Amino acid sequence: MISEDGSEQVIVRLDGVRKEYGDSVALDGVSLEIRAGEAVAVMGPSGCGKSTLLNMIAGLDRPTAGSVFVDGEDLAQLNETGLALYRRRRIGMVFQFFNLIDDLPALDNVALAAQLTGTSAAQARKRALELLDELGIADRRNVYPAALSGGERQRVAVARALMNRPALLLADEPTGALDSHAGEQVMDLLIDLNQIGQTLLMVTHDPRLATRCASRLIEVADGRLVRESALERTP
Amino acid sequence: MSGAVWRASRAAVRRRRLQTFVIGLVVLTSTVALVVALGLLDAASAPFDRTFDQQRGAHLVATFDPAKATDAQLAQAAHQPGVTDVAGPFAQVVLTAPPDRAAPAAGVDTPPPGPITVVGRADPGGPVDRVDVWSGRWVTGPGEVVVMRPPGEHWGANEEVGSRLILPGAPPLTIVGFASSLSQTAGAWVSPDQMPALHPTATQLLLRFAHAGSDSQVRAGLTAVTAGLPQDSLLGSLSYLTVKQDMTSTANAYVPFLMAFGVLGLVVAVLIVANVVSGAVVSGSRHIGVLKAIGFTPNQVVAVYLVMVLVPGVVGCVLGTVLGVLAAHPLLHMVFAGFDYGYFTATLSPWVVVLTLLGMPVVVLLAALVPALRAHRLSAARAISAGSAPGTGRGLRVQRRLSGTRLPRAVSLGLGLPFARPGRTAMTLTALVLGVTTVTFAGGLSSSVAAYTDAARDHVQSVSYVGDAGVGQVEPKLTDAQIEAKLRSLPGALHVTAAAPVELRMTGGSQVVRGWFLRGDSADMSSAMVKGRWMKGPGEVVVGTPFVRKHHLAVGDHFTLALDGRQQSVTIVGETVTGDADRVDATWETLTAFAPDRSSSRYVNQYWVQLAHGADVGAFDNAVKAAEPGLNPSESGDVNSVTVTIVGSSSVLTLLLTTVAALGVFNTAVLNTRERRRDLGMLKSIGMTPRQVMVMVVTSMAALGLVGGLLGVPLGIVAHRLIVPSMVEAVGSSLPAAMMQVWHAPTLTLLVLAGVAIAVLGALVPARSAARLTIAEVLRSE
Ligand SMILES: Nc1ncnc2c1ncn2[C@@H]1O[C@H](COP(=O)(O)OP(=O)(O)O)[C@@H](O)[C@H]1O
Ligand SMILES: [Mg+2]
Repeated sequence: MISEDGSEQVIVRLDGVRKEYGDSVALDGVSLEIRAGEAVAVMGPSGCGKSTLLNMIAGLDRPTAGSVFVDGEDLAQLNETGLALYRRRRIGMVFQFFNLIDDLPALDNVALAAQLTGTSAAQARKRALELLDELGIADRRNVYPAALSGGERQRVAVARALMNRPALLLADEPTGALDSHAGEQVMDLLIDLNQIGQTLLMVTHDPRLATRCASRLIEVADGRLVRESALERTP
Repeated sequence: MSGAVWRASRAAVRRRRLQTFVIGLVVLTSTVALVVALGLLDAASAPFDRTFDQQRGAHLVATFDPAKATDAQLAQAAHQPGVTDVAGPFAQVVLTAPPDRAAPAAGVDTPPPGPITVVGRADPGGPVDRVDVWSGRWVTGPGEVVVMRPPGEHWGANEEVGSRLILPGAPPLTIVGFASSLSQTAGAWVSPDQMPALHPTATQLLLRFAHAGSDSQVRAGLTAVTAGLPQDSLLGSLSYLTVKQDMTSTANAYVPFLMAFGVLGLVVAVLIVANVVSGAVVSGSRHIGVLKAIGFTPNQVVAVYLVMVLVPGVVGCVLGTVLGVLAAHPLLHMVFAGFDYGYFTATLSPWVVVLTLLGMPVVVLLAALVPALRAHRLSAARAISAGSAPGTGRGLRVQRRLSGTRLPRAVSLGLGLPFARPGRTAMTLTALVLGVTTVTFAGGLSSSVAAYTDAARDHVQSVSYVGDAGVGQVEPKLTDAQIEAKLRSLPGALHVTAAAPVELRMTGGSQVVRGWFLRGDSADMSSAMVKGRWMKGPGEVVVGTPFVRKHHLAVGDHFTLALDGRQQSVTIVGETVTGDADRVDATWETLTAFAPDRSSSRYVNQYWVQLAHGADVGAFDNAVKAAEPGLNPSESGDVNSVTVTIVGSSSVLTLLLTTVAALGVFNTAVLNTRERRRDLGMLKSIGMTPRQVMVMVVTSMAALGLVGGLLGVPLGIVAHRLIVPSMVEAVGSSLPAAMMQVWHAPTLTLLVLAGVAIAVLGALVPARSAARLTIAEVLRSE
């Protein structure tokens, strides 16, 4: 979807998105556009609705009102199966607490994402191994998540998210559960990915992560966007 | 199935060893219980009819006088439209085994004293009465004999293939085999060529009718056959309905209990499997969220969960079926050998195996489907945050209120835990209530069975029949009163009753009932009373529940009995646990009132003796025979073995069900606590000592266990109160109130404590492993 002024393609467009949980309002009329190749950081106090925002974009939950378009797809038009296909093809997700499948070793955790799209097991493993190699954890491929360090787990999670070459990478406090060294490594990883063109939307508490990785900062409070600013990246 | 689904489910099966193992074990144990329960249900529902059909039993065994009707005439007469099959005519003679019970010479069989019917028959098969030759072979010529015995029974000394059978008036015969006939057409069979040497006195005809459902149909069949035969040529006849009544009355009494166990086993197996499987799905919600987040479709998630529980489910089902078949065979044999003398082939029907093999996986599938469909609907965002979601408002409120109490903080936290996750708490509580209810009910059932068995037990160990010259027996020389006195004086005799069975007419004149007029110690030898008391004076009668039902009478009602034109009004003063629909027990004075001008003694045809504890029945019977050769003493059915087998089999089932219930509770407690490992790590990280963590876990499970026990025990008692009497009623019997009072406070307390203990044990296993992990590891593992 090319916009009228001919600038980069809009990957994400939110229009008046509202989300209520019972009586409480988690998102209160959020509108937002993200263009291809951008790296956007979302910041705000705990409980302000950052994760909810990400979940709306990932199609993990549906808004009470408003619309979400991602990569030309109107998520409201998709049924549950449609949303699953959308998640596996268009987006990759990284969580604060990794959310790896404990029953599978690192390599299979990553390969599983490709197998879902119909790739053969052998092919999927080959690509998974390449990714793990790129992320510097190929030697840990046969280790189960419980035995991996936090940084290693998050790198496995990133590899899994990248497996199907997503149009959009979503990260919810990707360094939130990591020590500063592991956090640095993940940050570098995200910067590298964005530099080779990966569109990135990340939620963080860490101003360093925002300023190092993001080109734009969105601040959220009480379910509303309160400020938007362009960032000069500080390498 | 896509590769991703298969990979994810296989990994889950392999890595969740405890869960996989418990699902497999619960399904296995439930399957064993199911096979045994279905086998019992099946075998108990129609033991007589099944074997009777297998053997193509004779609906009627008729004997004719060969001097009045020739074989050709009989064959001709049997040719009737209502007669579907005929066997015979076979020559028959009744020989009497000698009373001498002195030790026989080696290799010589001395059968129990009394008449023995010998029939000449060339072939054990044929259209009617396919005799089951279960040992040795059939007779091939003169000098050989096949003895009628149900499998596993030994009636005579040295009774084995190869022994010689010595019968008066017959040449020595070699036993070549043992066979059983449910129609009881003979006590022994010889070759037809042998018969002339035995001087046959009767001819036997075995008949099957197109319609033989009732007494009148069987009688009509007999009338049609005898219509064309010379007058008085019929010597006697035996309807299969009479045999069936005799043989199945004891078995029938236990059918309701076996049914109750069967139904209970079925229900509990299904419910516990459902609970365990749903537990696995409910506790996997974060896993479900992850699968959804990386793009598994809802259907694929459902598929992963179904495969995950079906793998151990199918393995458990197959192994359980094999074990169940292995266990059911000896159990069924034991149960049925106990009360029908081994005539019935209580084998496990193939349909039981087929139904279990197909049904159990379906149960597992359905049990998993309901929660799996919940997983289908569960929003991915909600599922993925399930592990770290904040407590519900109610949970926090309870927690706050508890923290205000003076309880140690670990205890109050533990008490609050169940409120934090109401869904999982409900799951655990369901397992607990189900478990305690099952054990309560099964234990009560088994106690009721024991009480019933004890009450219904015959208090008669030896019955002496009065010899009848009409069938070639010696008649007693002593008078009725002298015999009674003699029996009382014999060593070992505790109580003696003289019994006079007499056919009577009831009011209206159409109904015939059998009156048993009893003299002597009948009050001490009676079976347990459901209502009222034992009879005392003239005009008082006692009947069984089936009589009360059939004739619409109750304790306190009066009715009229008639004998030889004399009428007497009698009052029902008591209702017994045992008895049949057409039997009335009455006092001796009542009989005297019917026949004041004649001696009532002529009606007495048997004496019942209850022996002192530990007395030897065989020795007593020998003493009777020695004292009065005109009496034919015989051992009364070994009912103690019935007690043992019934109580034994109900204990086996109770044990199986208890195991299943305990496993269910254990599994749920394990899953529930494992879920909370992260919470435990968190609490340790804020300064809780490992001991405090343990106290908290134990408190939370103990509280649940207590609630489960307090709900489950009354439920089990109510179920017992509702189900047992109605099942007993279904077979036309009833239980005295005393037999329903099987509950005792100490047992119940123990039961609740056992429930608590299992729940706590189930919680301690994962709590201890969590305590051994470092805090960082626990926190990281989510
Ligand atoms: N599944 C849910 N059910 C109920 N309330 C929720 C749920 N998810 C989030 N919330 C509520 O919505 C608000 C925003 O939550 P969230 O988006 O997780 O905040 P954060 O900015 O810390 O990520 C919070 O008040 C939270 O309690
Ligand atoms: Mg958040």
